Amino acid sequence: MSEQIREQVSAFLDGELPSSETELLLKRLTRDAELRESFGRYALIGESLRGSSRVPLTRGFAGRVNCAIDGEPAAAGAQAVHGSRRRWWRPVAGAAVAASVAAVAVLALQQRADAPAMRAALPATAQNRTVVATEAISYTVPAALPEAPALLPSARLTNYVFAHSQYSSVLGQRNVLSGLLADADEQPVPGNGRAVNVPAVNGMRLPAPPAESHAAP
Amino acid sequence: MSQQLRRGPRWLIPCAVAGAMAFALTQRSHAADDARAWLEKMNHALAVRNYDGTFFHLSDGRVETMRIVHRVKAGRVTERLQSLDGSGREFVRNNDELTCYLPDKHTILVEPRQDHGPFLGSLAHFGADVGEFYSLELLPTARVLGRSAKVIVVNPKDQFRFGYRLWLDEKTAMPLKSQLCDSRGQVIEQIVFARLAMPDNISDSELLPAVPTEGMRWVRQGLANEAAPPALLAFRASELPPGFHLTVAGAQTLGAATVPAAHLVYSDGLATVSVFVEAQPDRKSGAEGRADAEPEAPMQGLARVGSGFAFSTVVQGHQVTAVGEVPARTVEFIAHSVKSGGEPPRP
Repeated sequence: MSEQIREQVSAFLDGELPSSETELLLKRLTRDAELRESFGRYALIGESLRGSSRVPLTRGFAGRVNCAIDGEPAAAGAQAVHGSRRRWWRPVAGAAVAASVAAVAVLALQQRADAPAMRAALPATAQNRTVVATEAISYTVPAALPEAPALLPSARLTNYVFAHSQYSSVLGQRNVLSGLLADADEQPVPGNGRAVNVPAVNGMRLPAPPAESHAAP
Repeated sequence: MSQQLRRGPRWLIPCAVAGAMAFALTQRSHAADDARAWLEKMNHALAVRNYDGTFFHLSDGRVETMRIVHRVKAGRVTERLQSLDGSGREFVRNNDELTCYLPDKHTILVEPRQDHGPFLGSLAHFGADVGEFYSLELLPTARVLGRSAKVIVVNPKDQFRFGYRLWLDEKTAMPLKSQLCDSRGQVIEQIVFARLAMPDNISDSELLPAVPTEGMRWVRQGLANEAAPPALLAFRASELPPGFHLTVAGAQTLGAATVPAAHLVYSDGLATVSVFVEAQPDRKSGAEGRADAEPEAPMQGLARVGSGFAFSTVVQGHQVTAVGEVPARTVEFIAHSVKSGGEPPRP
């Protein structure tokens, strides 16, 4: 990803890319699968400070961020150096953040973010705080996180999902349907940190092994 | 004098704390009301507006570019959702049916719709029951797509449901960006618009699928009100995660099957889970009841479908599958509790 495109992606995710440039970016992304992959990784790195950093990062999440950074060393480095975009800084919530995660987070925090929105998001609800307090200790990787491989639903599952979609809420429906659009056959790309497709077993693909726990360091 | 000074604050502190708390609570509930009002506006905008947008669908470090075209003309809704760079899949729906063009599977799947009103009319209204399991927050305004956006957070109160963060255009209440999050606030999936037009008129050609349909197999699913054997209709979830209750119970023919499956819908007011119960085909006579004649072994276990999950198990000789845009634990919980004659639990 060239510096210019990185800038564009970064500005786009901030909602600050002018619409003419957004059009260009869109065209490039539609044409270029490799660029899309970089964009996906980049967005994931960005997410570590935007939405997710109000709660402690799990090891699984840190792993994914690390993978993302491994796959895009230039992006991370350039972003760290590129201080002009930095507008605000705040400590990562939660005490039990592993050193590697902290390093990633600090690196990531050099980027910009939806400043006012996320600053206000910091005081999580009391409910969230309780959940966080217990989970920060165990570093549990919940099975519901996208550690599970991107699965191609069998014909039967696809039928179920379509039949179900009419009862989903607006948002649920959109997510379910766009998820299905995205879930077409794709070639596994070994060794890039992404889950490899599991061969269909009994008409269903099984996800990665369930929740795995690590002791806190 | 000095005693009075010391005593004074002691009286004042509880009053001040109570006052501050009352103020904070009022503010908070106002914010929640505002958030609820914005969600209603969004529901309305999505249902009645014309729009043509291109968005990025980001999930698990992957990006897909998609286009959505939505038209309301003379009371008829037509919507087209198209993958621009990946599978070539397309969905087109109107008041009567949803048609799924799956070129990678050489299949066109048609799913009839029963609702004849505005397509998105029967949606969650974020009522009081929703408030019991989700908290709503209105965050300060942010910018998306160069526009000023209201930021609404729908936080699930437990781990049985997902939440949302929404960036709604201040002028139109259209969602410019949305994130699906787990109960800890981690983003599972997001949709970010790169371009969004709201034209007065959208021509028919914009709503036609680009997929060549020659040589594709058409598969039509049944309506969810078919007759089915009483034994099949006797299945219910005997236990449910907090807040979920039965909203629909029926039967419909799925895919190329020749016999209907029971279809139960459970909802907490926002998230929904469908449970499908099918009689297991008699192994000796092959895939009886299924015209596509794939001799399918029973499905078992968890699968990821879109942003949600499906969990399959076999109960009393029947294939039971729970599907929904909910965490894995929720579909697993519900599927495991399904049994024949299982009374729907009281909410």
